[in-house]
Amino acid sequence: MKYELRHTTRYDYSGDVTLSHNEARLLPRIMPWQEVESAELSISPAPVRLRERSDFFGNRVNYFSMQDLHNTLEVTASSIITTSARPFPPTDLNQTWESAVDLLKTGHNTLDTYIDQAHLEAKLFTLDSDFIRHDALLAEYARASFTSKRSLIDAVIAFNQQIFSDFIYDPEHTTIATPILDVLASRRGVCQDFAHLAIGCLRSLGLAARYMSGYMETLPPPGQEKLQGADATHAWLAVYIPKWGWLEIDPTNGCLPDERYIILGWGRDFADVTPLKGVMTGGGNDFLSVAVDVIPLPRADANAA
Amino acid sequence: MFDPSLLNSELQAILSAYLKQLNHHGVHAHDELFSSDDRIRNQWHPLLEEFSQLGTDTLLARSEEAQNLLHENGVTFNSYEDDPGRMRSWELDCLPYVISTDEWEGLERGLIQRVRLLEALVDDLYGPRNVIKKGILPPELIYTHPSYLFPALNEEETPDRPYIIFHSTDLIRNASGEWLVLGDWAQSPSGTGYALENRITLARALPNLYREAPIKRLAGFLQAQLRCLASLNRGQKEHPNIVLLSPGPGSPGYFEHAWLANYMNFTLAEGADLVVRDGQVSMRTLGGLKRVDIILRQINDPWCDPLELRGDSLLGVPGLMQAARNGEVEIANALGTGVLEHPALSTFMPELCQHLLGETLLLKNRDALWCGEDQQLTRVLNETGQWLIKDVRMPTRVIKPENLSVNEREMLYKSIQRQPYLFVALDKPKAATAPVFNVKTRQFEPQPVNLRLFSLVEPDDLFKPLSERQYRIMPGGLAWIGNAGTPLMESQTVKDIWVMAPVPQPHISLLRQANGPIVVTRDGTDLPCRVADSLFWMGRYGERLDIRSRLLRETFSRLQQEDQEDTGTRLIPDLFAALELDYPDVPSETKALKSAATENTRLTRAEYLHLRNCLLELFAEHHNDGMPWLFSHFLRNCRAVRDHLGDDAWRTVNNLRQRFNDMPSAQSAIMAQRHLEGVVTNLAAFFGLCNETMPHHYGWRFLDIGRFIERILLSLELLRLALLTARHPGIPLWEVVLATTDNFTVYRRRYRSQLHPSAILDLLLFDETNPRSVGYMLKRLSRQIERLPHPNISPYRNQETRLVIQATSALHLADLDNLVNIDHSEEAQAALATLLDQLIQPMSELSNAISHSHFSHVEAPRQLVTMQSTV
Repeated sequence: MKYELRHTTRYDYSGDVTLSHNEARLLPRIMPWQEVESAELSISPAPVRLRERSDFFGNRVNYFSMQDLHNTLEVTASSIITTSARPFPPTDLNQTWESAVDLLKTGHNTLDTYIDQAHLEAKLFTLDSDFIRHDALLAEYARASFTSKRSLIDAVIAFNQQIFSDFIYDPEHTTIATPILDVLASRRGVCQDFAHLAIGCLRSLGLAARYMSGYMETLPPPGQEKLQGADATHAWLAVYIPKWGWLEIDPTNGCLPDERYIILGWGRDFADVTPLKGVMTGGGNDFLSVAVDVIPLPRADANAA
Repeated sequence: MFDPSLLNSELQAILSAYLKQLNHHGVHAHDELFSSDDRIRNQWHPLLEEFSQLGTDTLLARSEEAQNLLHENGVTFNSYEDDPGRMRSWELDCLPYVISTDEWEGLERGLIQRVRLLEALVDDLYGPRNVIKKGILPPELIYTHPSYLFPALNEEETPDRPYIIFHSTDLIRNASGEWLVLGDWAQSPSGTGYALENRITLARALPNLYREAPIKRLAGFLQAQLRCLASLNRGQKEHPNIVLLSPGPGSPGYFEHAWLANYMNFTLAEGADLVVRDGQVSMRTLGGLKRVDIILRQINDPWCDPLELRGDSLLGVPGLMQAARNGEVEIANALGTGVLEHPALSTFMPELCQHLLGETLLLKNRDALWCGEDQQLTRVLNETGQWLIKDVRMPTRVIKPENLSVNEREMLYKSIQRQPYLFVALDKPKAATAPVFNVKTRQFEPQPVNLRLFSLVEPDDLFKPLSERQYRIMPGGLAWIGNAGTPLMESQTVKDIWVMAPVPQPHISLLRQANGPIVVTRDGTDLPCRVADSLFWMGRYGERLDIRSRLLRETFSRLQQEDQEDTGTRLIPDLFAALELDYPDVPSETKALKSAATENTRLTRAEYLHLRNCLLELFAEHHNDGMPWLFSHFLRNCRAVRDHLGDDAWRTVNNLRQRFNDMPSAQSAIMAQRHLEGVVTNLAAFFGLCNETMPHHYGWRFLDIGRFIERILLSLELLRLALLTARHPGIPLWEVVLATTDNFTVYRRRYRSQLHPSAILDLLLFDETNPRSVGYMLKRLSRQIERLPHPNISPYRNQETRLVIQATSALHLADLDNLVNIDHSEEAQAALATLLDQLIQPMSELSNAISHSHFSHVEAPRQLVTMQSTV
């Protein structure tokens, strides 16, 4: 699929901001199944410094600062992206989830044996992070899907469904600070909560899971036209499948991400991939508005398909 | 040749008693003074000969002298939990820790290898990460450490400068005399300032010994350190601006931060003083932003930048990491070096040394177990009681499992099992002993000692590759008494470390010598706004403390008078009002007694005691508007400007501190009065010294403005009380007002008569030749305010000036005729009330106006809320 992507974040402040330093993670990564034709950031008022680097996880980070008095900040990321189908692990991996846990556990201090760099990298995503802590309750919840000796991929897919059917999508219920144990207890939340919760469960079992930040194309209700700015940012997760790679799952929608999913970046949790963060002086109260458009574009080869 | 029998008999007795103590339990552990065959070690010979000549009495006197010097110079430390008003100072042992030439060479080699190894490791951890990729270091060990900074990873390019400019290592000698490393300080090693202060003190206490013994000198090391820092900006500027970034007066190392800033001539800055604009780091000064080239940081890694690191940090500078990344500022040590302080690294050191340097590790580490390894975890869980536990997320906390309750211990072991890689177990090595002079018993005592030694990149090698880079070790350091691993801050006694050289060493002045031509600067506009702010409040609190003390002193004295004689008046309620105290209910039984007794105003004993105790309450530390409370505010501001106060002024602050520490134990009115006298004279000395020694630049002006705003306000309030609102106005109360404002003598000299309200009014309000009059004070304020820097040139008068003019004109336009007969005429009283209001109101606003124009940086930066609507 080919998409035009527009993501605008606007802050209106009640007072003047005298100085602010910001980091945006709003430009999509390049993936084998995600071509980025163009991606740019426009910031208003014009920032004094705009520097791009790639972060620890390889995500694109744009640093910028504003130092003239301002009382609004508008950041728009626009890109043209072509996605294709993601690879899916072979069904004959013959790997129980317990063996995956064992594989992740070992693998250090063994100079003489072959070290799988992918394992080593995945290890980071088995550890606690700012928003996600290991907990016995989380492991217990996951065991409904992670039954003894079950194939890892089967268990992961079942677990994805488990959250989808057990939890109610409720944007009124949670804030960014809602701890995952509260989410587990109330069975309510938004995509970010479900992603954090799923990651917490998998890590509590000893598996590696990372937080994915991006967008998903949504369809308007039947018979209606799609409204502008009606899309939203989305969050899901990816699970490490040893000897294969990272399998993405989306517990919010109970499906496996496909061409309709656009990846911005990933990290241990939301804190690593916050789309826009900053520190500022002044400003008083602020009012935030976000508009996201994921607009499907006709593909040049659409007729051929 | 050294012959112990030639030592004086007292010293011989001391030495044999020491040896007896050592051998009390059979064969003694390694001792610094006596070898295992009970002979005095060579490096001690010159010291003992000198002590023998001095005699024990002199040694004792010198030792006390050293304590006094340290105390007067305010060498203190305080931990976060301590009340800022109560800082402990430590004792300096007059016996140094002596290291022989040979021994030092081995130690030096080991330490240099260690710093090279750490540099190679940190280069790798923030670069290619080969030690992780090759499986030498487990990823979970590094990635969970709070000082491994993900944003500091830079795989693309190798920095051309070392991460570590200087570093320190804590060591002990174990019972068999072998050196053991306890840990490293790789972010901002502290202690060089203390080491130098100890050296200066001991050199003054034992001048002959210091001059003649071949002791290696320290000053060269600090000069090299300064050169290193200055070279960090690659010669782009002849005089790079170097600041020392401190967490502020609340931090345990603040004394040293101020001391180092002074010694090295850096500006002492806090996070709020610095700002990143145009990608560069600048300091907010009264004259505007001043570019900072190099930062010597004393803030731990995670707190340095709220944008990229911990968002809840109020100590750091937003945007600092980005500025450092772009090379706009150089930070020493580089951000992220804290990961080298990971306590579990020690178990990997031999292998890392082999791998990174191709060398065998020279200095052994204390035994440690990393719970991330299954076998080591099993040992930790089985061998309870043998190990100290450290959680890597809490670098300063050491857990002794045997000191925990059963429940707590169970919790601890549970969390270890849940996330074993977060825990490290440390052994408890028995340390060798060194002699310590006990001033009470006049004996030497064998005590375990911890050492901190410092290393530095050779300044000329700063930009050479690691393999060609030389390092140097400070020939001396800091030693403190305590079992292995006792934190420096918890020790009571410190020792200077003397490294013996083969030949006498040339003397290098410890006073810093200028490197290259000095830039003469006089304008003072580079004063950080925060310092101006603190000086202003130091002035206000100091003045309030002064007037409070005077008023309280007068109140105590009146109380005693009214207790002893029938004065015919009851002043105490009015004085309580002046002190902003509620006049207490007199206990009922005494009331009954009283009515039955006499009609006079004399206080009953119970009343007296009750009132006295109410006043003594003001000395209690918990009283939240009491004297110690006021003092703690004064002190906090003094400490924030420590590097702007002269040594003598600081000594008076230390005297005050001592007085306020003793104050809560005052039990009688006499004692209380004595304390208050002391406070008044010490404050007078302090402000006098400030006036005499501070350059009359902006800093001093802010101090003066603070004092005079406070003094005007308090004088006006007193006048209002004495002439308008008092229950019992009249001569006795007027006397108190004159005494409190220090006008009594002037009044008597001028009028030689009974007190008259009109005369008082003139003296206190209008007479501009009287330095205690409001008229004089307004004139002074206006002069000071005129001379403050005004970055925004505008043809209009600023608010501060307008407020002073407003008050001054109210005073000048007052119709004196309306104010005569103030004690009888209601119209006069109303006129005075109006006048006082016209004066008080602009003066109250003046303080805010000044803050707004000059210190408006105080607003803290905050996080942009990042909550986003999500699907």
